[in-house]
Amino acid sequence: MSTLSAAITASASALSVERARIEVAVSNMANADSTRSANGQPYRRRDVMLTADPVDSFDAVLGKSSATGVKVAGIIEDQSPFRKRYEPSHPDADAEGFVSLPNVDSSEEMVDMLGAARAYQANLAAIGMIKEMVAKALELGR
Amino acid sequence: MPIEALGTKIGGGSALARGARAAVSGGADAGAFAEKLGQLVEGVEETAAEANTAINGMIDKSVDVHEAMLAITRAEQTFQLTVQIRNKLVQAYQDIMRMPV
Repeated sequence: MSTLSAAITASASALSVERARIEVAVSNMANADSTRSANGQPYRRRDVMLTADPVDSFDAVLGKSSATGVKVAGIIEDQSPFRKRYEPSHPDADAEGFVSLPNVDSSEEMVDMLGAARAYQANLAAIGMIKEMVAKALELGR
Repeated sequence: MPIEALGTKIGGGSALARGARAAVSGGADAGAFAEKLGQLVEGVEETAAEANTAINGMIDKSVDVHEAMLAITRAEQTFQLTVQIRNKLVQAYQDIMRMPV
């Protein structure tokens, strides 16, 4: 694969990953107060794990320099303890009257979202730059 | 090179290849060039088809916006490259035609 095309593919993989990060941050935010989920427990905060992913694995095996993209390795659940709130009238309250709330911190999710949005923009700028380089190279023919 | 060879569709590159071979002695190289040009046109068609698929995917929400835009960009770049090569070819042909004998 030609270098510039590989670079665009690597940037594109980063765009997809940032979209996945935004999706996870948004679902954390949306479920910040969900006291029950499919398994009966309160919603657990999710986090995205990323891993480097060579664009051309054949080139990578051969040890040739090649653009390296990124991909989502998995989505893990944050095992930190749930928030507790005293609310005996709540249907999900335990024997002592405490309700377990998701271990989501909205301000942290906000920061995650901003980070993902900025990283998305940065990768878009990188693609724009590569595109410009290709256009300049084509101008050689004029 | 006969004009008809340039006038016909360069999709398969065969007419061009024949024309080039007729014009140039030791025509293997010229044929190879025409073949490359044909491959380039096929590449344009391929990337354009990919862009179409991506746009359709975007409409039925199975493809991300950035993926569709990148497919379009790739198609555009391949097309621009082909246009540049075609311009060069035509220019070379015209230069030869204008050559005083």
